[in-house]
Amino acid sequence: MTTKIGIDVGGTFTDFFVAEAGCEPRIHKVLSTPHDPSIAVLTGLEEIAASRKPAMALADYVRTIDTIVHGTTVTTNATLTHTGAKCGLITTEGVRDALEMRRGIREEQYNNRYTNVPPLVERYLRAGTGGRMDRAGREVAPLALADIEAAIALFKREKVEAVAICFMNAFANPAHERQAAELVRKHLPEAYLTVSTDLLPSIRFYDRISTTALNSYVGPKLSRYLDQLTGRLKEVGFDGLLLITQSNGGVMAPEVAREKAALTLLSGPAGGPGAGLAYAAVHGQNRCITTDMGGTSFEASMAVDTPIMVNDGEIARHRIALPMLGIHTIGAGGGSIGWIDEGGMLRMGPQSAGADPGPACYGKGGTKPTSTDANLVLGYLNPGFFAGGRMSLDLAAAERAIAEHVAKPLGLSVVEAAAGMYRIICNNMAQGVREVTIKRGFDPREFPMIVAGGAGPIHSCLIADELEMPFQIVPRESSVLCAYGMLMGDIRHDFVRTFVSRLDSLDWPRLKAVIAEMAKDGDDLLDSERISADRRRVAVKLDCRYLKQYHEVSFEVPMASIEAGDTAAITRLFHAEHNRLYGYSLEEQKVPAEIINVRLQAVGVTDKPSGRAEPYAGPDGSAAVKGERMVYVPEDKAFRSVPVYDGHKLKHGNRVAGPAMIEEITTAIFVSASYDGVCDRTGSFALYRKGREDLVANILKGA
Amino acid sequence: MTAVDPILLSVYARTFKSITDEMSISVQKTTRSPILCEAKDFVTGLYDAEGNMLEQTENLPILAFSLAPVCKYILKYFEGDIHPGDVIFHNDVFSMGNQNNDVAVYKPVFQGETLVGWTAVKGHQADIGGNVPGGYNPNAKEVWQEALRIPPVKIYDRGVFRKDVWDLIFANIRLDIVQHDMRAQMGACTVGERRFLELLSKYGLPSFRAHKTALFDATRRMMEAEIAKIPNGRYSGEGMVYYDGHHVGSQFTIRVDITVEDRKVRFDYTRTDPQTDGFVNGTFTSSASATVLTLLQMVNPDIPHNEGMIQPIEIIIPEGTILNASYPKATTFGNHLCPPNADAIIRALAPVIPDRVTAGWNNLLCSLTTGIDPEKGEKYVDIGFMGLKGGSGAMNGTDGYDHIGMIDASGGLLDQDYEMFEQTTPHLLIKHEYLVDSAGPGQWRGGLGVETIFTIGSDDTQLVTFGDGDFEPAFGLFGGGEGTLNLIELTYPDGTSVVPRNKDLITGVPKGTRYRQLAGGGGGYGPAAKRDRALLGREVRDGVISPDAARSAYGWEG
Repeated sequence: MTTKIGIDVGGTFTDFFVAEAGCEPRIHKVLSTPHDPSIAVLTGLEEIAASRKPAMALADYVRTIDTIVHGTTVTTNATLTHTGAKCGLITTEGVRDALEMRRGIREEQYNNRYTNVPPLVERYLRAGTGGRMDRAGREVAPLALADIEAAIALFKREKVEAVAICFMNAFANPAHERQAAELVRKHLPEAYLTVSTDLLPSIRFYDRISTTALNSYVGPKLSRYLDQLTGRLKEVGFDGLLLITQSNGGVMAPEVAREKAALTLLSGPAGGPGAGLAYAAVHGQNRCITTDMGGTSFEASMAVDTPIMVNDGEIARHRIALPMLGIHTIGAGGGSIGWIDEGGMLRMGPQSAGADPGPACYGKGGTKPTSTDANLVLGYLNPGFFAGGRMSLDLAAAERAIAEHVAKPLGLSVVEAAAGMYRIICNNMAQGVREVTIKRGFDPREFPMIVAGGAGPIHSCLIADELEMPFQIVPRESSVLCAYGMLMGDIRHDFVRTFVSRLDSLDWPRLKAVIAEMAKDGDDLLDSERISADRRRVAVKLDCRYLKQYHEVSFEVPMASIEAGDTAAITRLFHAEHNRLYGYSLEEQKVPAEIINVRLQAVGVTDKPSGRAEPYAGPDGSAAVKGERMVYVPEDKAFRSVPVYDGHKLKHGNRVAGPAMIEEITTAIFVSASYDGVCDRTGSFALYRKGREDLVANILKGA
Repeated sequence: MTAVDPILLSVYARTFKSITDEMSISVQKTTRSPILCEAKDFVTGLYDAEGNMLEQTENLPILAFSLAPVCKYILKYFEGDIHPGDVIFHNDVFSMGNQNNDVAVYKPVFQGETLVGWTAVKGHQADIGGNVPGGYNPNAKEVWQEALRIPPVKIYDRGVFRKDVWDLIFANIRLDIVQHDMRAQMGACTVGERRFLELLSKYGLPSFRAHKTALFDATRRMMEAEIAKIPNGRYSGEGMVYYDGHHVGSQFTIRVDITVEDRKVRFDYTRTDPQTDGFVNGTFTSSASATVLTLLQMVNPDIPHNEGMIQPIEIIIPEGTILNASYPKATTFGNHLCPPNADAIIRALAPVIPDRVTAGWNNLLCSLTTGIDPEKGEKYVDIGFMGLKGGSGAMNGTDGYDHIGMIDASGGLLDQDYEMFEQTTPHLLIKHEYLVDSAGPGQWRGGLGVETIFTIGSDDTQLVTFGDGDFEPAFGLFGGGEGTLNLIELTYPDGTSVVPRNKDLITGVPKGTRYRQLAGGGGGYGPAAKRDRALLGREVRDGVISPDAARSAYGWEG
């Protein structure tokens, strides 16, 4: 029982990261099986077992696995394709349309062809029922039980699979929701049920009703999938711990995931930020920006000590107000198509050629020029060594596509056009990094950038250049970063209570009681997950704002300040965070602040795989040079012959002077003329701006 | 002249956009008045040294044309006296301002001693002096009864803060919050300035100059190509304004003559009715914004918003008309002349570009309640965003958007969250739902309106109404039917009720009064008999179209 496996299901590939005590980490990829993703999971495990030396039978192999951490996109896909469960909604009379109205927004204001998103629950299945709490949780009208029963009868007739309950002001008094839930459980025992105050007992009706409905919308699908997965794993004899990745970067037991299915929405890339921190830690850094460029999208996130969280996420234009990692996604990937807009300007994406037909150079019928085609023309991709030589690329097809759709209309040569495509997409990605840093009050120059995704390391030098970032880290496992990151995730359960109070007249005993209640809920869940007391942590956050502001600032408060009832310390933290985020505070003006929500995260620390530690092998990496190749060097605006290194042969301490190419089976790294690189003790490539040896001084010294 | 690199051109365009977006987020996150941080009634912009728009982020389309003309005015006003470290305020509607409450901050950007451009933020302030808190004074006849006028004035002069000027301004404004919000706007200008200078230091001034000219040209060509899709000719349309706030039964006509010729378009409002005695008057920039935003909804939504976009458009609005009042007329209602102006333009162009226009949109009717929350002992002000948002007009192939709100915001103005509404006011929300049968029938139906009911929770409550749409519904096109009318109705605890006029001030409303508002639906497009039957069946099932209406208006067989 010494093996831990992270399994990340993607649109095209299912990635495996295998950490076995005393062995090199292993990477494995199999084709995904979208109709039942658990098939690919089992296929992958079987192939990994068979490829061991000596080969093992799957049944024997799974017995050596103590933990599988699994990220699923079942819920995300169901929402994006609008194929979730048929749901019924029970809500307060008079407000049943809030879910569909989405506060009346049209995201594209000048586009009269832009229609509203279909509602998660159709209107005839949205039952408004009598009964009302006021803003302080006082009952204005008792719950109309007859209305609830009528709704249940309708849901039965209509064979709904799932029910969501969300009442006005339930955050202040959940009694009516509980009463209604009891009736639903009694009369519709087979229906999947979500009660808003169980999932998200915080103020803001639209946020709560949307999140609650999403949970019911995806719950039945996730439950069925987890049944399949656990069934298949049990069948082959797996009896270790199975954990499911959440969008907050943590993991949870399958039983918790069944009830809070919405926690898995957008959890696909959630392994990235945590993995990034682990790679940054090797260089003594507690912060990083993590970027991941895949076939269709580019994801950026940032972390300081822990990954940055948001409470106002969105999926398919529906609000999801559960705390989740602040991961920004833009349509920029290897398949992004280059095109000329009506004003004659070159644009890249967001349209993507996807995997089928794919870039023109794949030779599968694609005729549109993509980012991958440009990379091939510029020499960054080796036509004979794509995917380790398993796939050959058609340079002539790439040139044709670029010539016709970009070079000719702009009056440029094919190379100039390809270089332009490369530059534009790098610029787009740099703006994506801006979104997650500058807009949150952080300066990207102070962060190392962790570069992931098959196509990421070809572009990272130009992205870093654009943002003047001096330091990048390209992990060995860059193509399966999320699968690795899943193993770095702790069990994390988030709780929230609305607690409206001015900071200067805080009722401390009541606040402490609310926090204790959430801590108790956290303990109960961690009990069910068999987490021992010495592995438990709690963190408390407050959402505060200046009186009459509309947006809150969320910041962590030390437990000591809470236990001491130290209002002054908490107020100072709020002013400081407001100032950091928005460039000013109203401390001097003595504007009072108020709390809106109290949040608590209960953490169960999991065992992590230990990182590689290769012996220092000195600066000379010439043994890894496998040849020279002409590649386009953006600094020169010209091709130059550069050394090509076999990445698998570069050892701890080996240096690479840019411009150069480093090739591995699953990724290629372009070190531009502005950067040099050195291999760190975990096998990651640390790329630093020329002259900034100080950033990697320890490695250079062999320490 | 530096050569233009087509690739770098794209980089410039993308970066300009990201600068004004970043400024916009800064304003949204740091201001305190809900009309700024929630309703996002502000615009951020970046200009070259001559005041030409490089890019802007107008959160509400009605601000589409409100900043650049003032920038050019300021350049002339302070000619020879613009220095590094200056910060200039402006709101004056008689020097290209669009609305009194919209106060702008302009910051000249210098590279060394050379003026290279401007950053600017204009936002709707919670108060701007004048007779009535909040600025909407239906009784106003002159600008001084509405607002403090701020012609261009330096708040910082060569980096030195002018406390005397600051105090003079804010001594005439009721709420302290406005000072904080104006600081937030200055902060956003600094954010933009910093990034603009970074860009210039990277590529150099000659490169910037060459590329912005090329960018204007590229955008102009895009706009010209769009205009070229409208056949050459002269097209005329009308839109109606009902009630000037003084003379019951008064009505006014906006008349536009649109000439499309040689990839250019001219909007001529010369035949429009004269200005009113009251505050129902436009300013040149508010009216021109309305014209631009209506046109932008008929073209490719991807066109960048810079000087090149505006170059092929000529707008003639003679002073003294209801769309361009002369000094010193009251004008606060001017932004809300956008819907009838849009009606006039749509009616003019519908016959020649039937696939690019919508039917009529629901017009704005808004209310504002103020009073003392009896439980908290604190004053509250609530702008009834959720109640005012009706439906948009349908297009050929697309239904209208439900509960989107007036065309000047086009879905950029959001409902209050219901629970936050009950936290910040003493009112109890009874109903906020789609209004059955409000959508104009059609093969493509109009967007649905909404019904809003709440119980007023304070005594001596004051209610201000402003708007229109209670006399004339949103019109249908090509056989489509019209939407429904707007209505606000108060039912007092004693059972009597009152329907305020569409520009009105009602005081002493007691606790327990029932407030009811209907925001009408948008107009339909094409004959209702041709509506998809399966879709219609679902709408009847969902209860947004009643069986009776389905039969009578659509010929439903069910």
